[in-house]
Amino acid sequence: MRLLSSAFVALLAFARLSFAASSSGDSVLVLLDTSLDRENYSIFFGGLEKRGYSLTFRAPKDASPAITDYDVPNFDHVIFFSPEAKSYAQDITPQSLVGLLSEKTNLLIALSPKQTPLTSLATEFSLILPPPETPLISHHPARSERPTTIPVAVSSSSPLLTPGIPPVWFSGAPHALGNNPMLVPILRAPAESFAADSTDDTGADGIVDATEKGGEGLWAGSQMGLVTGFQTNVNSRVVFAGGIDLFSDEYARKELPSGTPSGNSQFARDIATWVFQETLTLRIDSVEHHRVNQTEAPEMYTTNDEIVYTAHISSYDSRTSTWKPYSGIGDLQLEFTMLDPHIRTSLPPVPGSPGTYQVQFRAPDRHGVFKFILNWKRKGYSYLSSSTTVPVVPPRHDGYPRFLSAAWPYYTGAISTSAGFFLFAALWLAGDVKGERKKVSKAE
Amino acid sequence: MILRLSWLLLAATVRAASLSLQSPRFTISASDATQLRSDTLSLTKKPEPLTLGATDTLKLTFQITDNDEGKGVQPHQTFLRFYDKVSGEEGIQPVRVTPGGKAKFELNMARPPTSIPPTTQNPLEVSLILGSFVHAPAKYDLFDIYLPASQTPAEHPDEASFHVLPTIEHTFRPEQKLPPQFISAVFAAAVLSPWVVLIGLWGKVGVRVPHLFSPSIVPFTVLLGGFEVLLVWYWVDLKLGQVLLYGGMLAIPTVFAGKQALYTTGEWRAGQK
Repeated sequence: MRLLSSAFVALLAFARLSFAASSSGDSVLVLLDTSLDRENYSIFFGGLEKRGYSLTFRAPKDASPAITDYDVPNFDHVIFFSPEAKSYAQDITPQSLVGLLSEKTNLLIALSPKQTPLTSLATEFSLILPPPETPLISHHPARSERPTTIPVAVSSSSPLLTPGIPPVWFSGAPHALGNNPMLVPILRAPAESFAADSTDDTGADGIVDATEKGGEGLWAGSQMGLVTGFQTNVNSRVVFAGGIDLFSDEYARKELPSGTPSGNSQFARDIATWVFQETLTLRIDSVEHHRVNQTEAPEMYTTNDEIVYTAHISSYDSRTSTWKPYSGIGDLQLEFTMLDPHIRTSLPPVPGSPGTYQVQFRAPDRHGVFKFILNWKRKGYSYLSSSTTVPVVPPRHDGYPRFLSAAWPYYTGAISTSAGFFLFAALWLAGDVKGERKKVSKAE
Repeated sequence: MILRLSWLLLAATVRAASLSLQSPRFTISASDATQLRSDTLSLTKKPEPLTLGATDTLKLTFQITDNDEGKGVQPHQTFLRFYDKVSGEEGIQPVRVTPGGKAKFELNMARPPTSIPPTTQNPLEVSLILGSFVHAPAKYDLFDIYLPASQTPAEHPDEASFHVLPTIEHTFRPEQKLPPQFISAVFAAAVLSPWVVLIGLWGKVGVRVPHLFSPSIVPFTVLLGGFEVLLVWYWVDLKLGQVLLYGGMLAIPTVFAGKQALYTTGEWRAGQK
């Protein structure tokens, strides 16, 4: 009985261990403001724990558990639910957070209309925040909540959101997006919303004055972002959300003005799965190159060789926690580069062989040291990059075309000479030896 | 559920004091103050799309009133929204409203405000957004307007790498051109012409080779033939090292066969003499 129960416990623990939804680890540090109650976010945190993450909670001013120990990150992901904290413990500074991202730790950060150290971090990621204490307001649609609690429609154009999410409730600060292509817009503000600090109609003049005074103008309209992601060069992800109430239980349970339930819980889950490297996570398993009709990669290629390049790409499947071959990339490109790309072709997937992309092309006329460069970057997806260096040499002395039709006279001449010599030698040895008899003349 | 809905309806009717737009009017005038177009705006149907040249001015006047009491109010939010449906660019321009509800907006294309979005050949849809803390909000589609095309917004230097890049094809050196095969065949035949002469003369003179198959010179002849075969084989297939090896192997018996052949020939000549 005891053996059975201990085996059962071991099996349970093992099952828990093997079910890790994220491709880069499942330990999460949550920095929760002391004024916030963990129970108010139970739907969000409970969803994370059910998918296999182990959450560790900490207040912003606590010194332990530290985020890094001697530049080695202690956690795989960090959630910042401390939108109003003005000061943090010593291990959290904007520089240390950027260092965390370089070490492939993902961050989920909730901002607020207040000015905090996280605001200056957001500016580093090309997000332009409004002046402090100007939350997002919208009088449309007519509803019974305060103007700062806004139902926002979720557009289906972002690849990381499941399609068909109902509108979500939002309250917080918007931000304007810079033109950095590494930004991934997730949720945009409604067209009628704007950032203002007035609480009654007499603030109308203040809004117009702020716009006319110049500077950034007014934070208004659907070009503003409310939740924006950023994917760094090392494929770590960070999401800035304009307010923390988006993740709260109250908004998840609140009904929209039309009477249907809100999409907050699904939306928060989609954001979390993207930031924690569960969805849209790709990697290159291996690349191969060889000549047509061969299988091994040669030490060097000759100009004008026909070369076959193959890439194996897989994506992470969070349901089975494994990397599965992925053939869904339709616009992969290969560059054959020596200082500048000499050849750029598309690398199409091979039908019937999942995860394999192959192309055949002819090596250029130039000799030199070339690189096969695979560099695929799209908003929301992991960046794929691979570079293989290979020499291309001119043909050897016997690599040129032979037996040309223009050389037939020369071939016949040489063969004719050889035949003539053989014939002369044979006939001279075999010939009649009658004194002064003249022998056969040499053939030319 | 129905009870909750009825409460909502009640709340809506209580706050039903909504904003409405009175006498909206626009005027387009050129830089020398001549009027190009002037009209009132109907709230139910959009007029013909307006066109604004690079030096023209658009003036828009309207009044915001309370629907119930009919007197002018100053709402919290009076925004003009310029939206390009094709490119998705948008610009929001707040309009100053007097406490009596009267509003005037002027757009001078010689000095456009910064809130106008980047424009292309497509028109901008202009709508008015009204919002207030005490009144129900309202939104009106006013008109479409064609503005002069602006410069495209500056792109980030890395932006191109996030899209498909143009295909690059390498131009190879053209294949070398050979003269026609017929010409080569004719000259190859010309090269063989001395053999024709030789065969002809031999026919006349007559060739006597009594010792051709004598066993003392056949080995040498055969080995010499072997050298010729090796030479042709080298031309077709072999590498230098292999040729030298085989040639060396062939050379040893050839030396002995050659000596034998020459001795025999010498004997014959000596014997004859």
